[in-house]
Amino acid sequence: MKGLLIKDFYMTARYCRAFLLIVAVFIAVSFFGDDNIFFIVYPVMIASVIPMTLISYDERDKWTQYSGTLPYTRAQLVSSKYLIGLIFGSAAFVLSVAASVSRMLANGYFSLTELSVISAVLLVLGLIGPSLILPFAFKYGAEKGRIAFYIMIGIICAAGVLLSGLGFNAVMPESPWAPAVTAAAAVLLYAASWRLSVAFYKKREL
Amino acid sequence: MNALEIKNLYKSYSGFKLENLSLTLPSGCILGLIGENGAGKSTTVKLILDMVRKDGGTIKIFGKEGDIRLSKQEIGVVPDEVGIPECLTAAQVGKIMRRSFDNWDSIAYGAFLKKLDIPSGKPFREFSRGMKMKLGIAVAMSHRPKLLILDEATSGLDPVVRDEVLEIFSEFTRDEGHSVLISSHIVSDLEKLCDYIAFLHKGRLLLCEEKDVLTEKYGLLQCAPEELSRLDKSAVKGKRVSPYGVQALVLRDAIPRGMRVSRVSIEELFVFMVKEAG
Repeated sequence: MKGLLIKDFYMTARYCRAFLLIVAVFIAVSFFGDDNIFFIVYPVMIASVIPMTLISYDERDKWTQYSGTLPYTRAQLVSSKYLIGLIFGSAAFVLSVAASVSRMLANGYFSLTELSVISAVLLVLGLIGPSLILPFAFKYGAEKGRIAFYIMIGIICAAGVLLSGLGFNAVMPESPWAPAVTAAAAVLLYAASWRLSVAFYKKREL
Repeated sequence: MNALEIKNLYKSYSGFKLENLSLTLPSGCILGLIGENGAGKSTTVKLILDMVRKDGGTIKIFGKEGDIRLSKQEIGVVPDEVGIPECLTAAQVGKIMRRSFDNWDSIAYGAFLKKLDIPSGKPFREFSRGMKMKLGIAVAMSHRPKLLILDEATSGLDPVVRDEVLEIFSEFTRDEGHSVLISSHIVSDLEKLCDYIAFLHKGRLLLCEEKDVLTEKYGLLQCAPEELSRLDKSAVKGKRVSPYGVQALVLRDAIPRGMRVSRVSIEELFVFMVKEAG
């Protein structure tokens, strides 16, 4: 699978250069700027878009078909995209966490609770997007997958509004374990998405 | 041993069916799969490579059925559109393939780039169609494959490049362990190159035969319509009527002695058979 990862690194370096620059700028702003969490979270969200961007370029360049002639299993072809997501996502996560810690220390305090909440938020926002969209992309292709993803988000939102109208309310528990549980759920969702994408892609005709 | 053995291969799409295709490619031979656009050539290639799922039949590669990933280590493929990402250079492609194929030979790849005049530092997007195809061929040949699968690899190339490319394929099969399956609608290319010829038409195999046997078995008869009508119907495999007479594709052995039967080219044979099949 090394060949696939190298190919995706080359493509990221070429097509996602702007993303990497934005990540660097936002990390710097989050460190020097105010307490706005947006600057800390945004790099992770940007990194989470990279696998989907690569799938779109693969389809445009007919790599999707060409890779079917190479000695890789369908599972490896899918896994390379999830790994690329993890590699760039982890790098952005580490940078964001490091920036948060640095900002806290620069302001003369350190709060483990705040850090764990920030980490959980970063993991959720970094993993939920690719976890939801990638199975659609592997089943239907990048363009149709994106449309299917938007339809699903629409259905979820509509269901949320409906349930809330019926009197159901989701309350975030205030347990100290809440960030860890939330982070674990996000990681599990990513793993489940990975398995689902492999199952979908094994059936896809190239 | 056979490089490729296909039996009763079946695939159905809405509006198209590949029906009970059976083909054998012996080791050391070149099999040309000829068919018009949409005849099922690319579908057959994709089925062999497990890029699409078959609905029936068996495919054996080097005598084995099953783990296609292992077989692909020994297969070089040049599809009609070489899907190398546009931003990559030939040098980068080499690095990717070195980590993809167990038998990748970087020296051979470098030699192919040099021989085929492929710049190693230019992005793929700036390549002409001929150059793209040549890079696809360099990739397909640099991991010491035993079987080459070429899907319309020569179409859209100018005559000089086509000749160059055909020479490479011809050189490849000088090794007895090497085989080639080449699909094309440019029959003249295959006529020069192939040992075996298969005609595919609307998803059905019209024939699969040794090229020399075909030219010995079939011939072209130029005669008057009355002369043709006196012949055994089973001897006539197709005809073309013009104001100057009839040109018919005939089985040489079934024609009375004395009638002048000329040599039929593979291209003429294909056209007659396709028209007859409807």
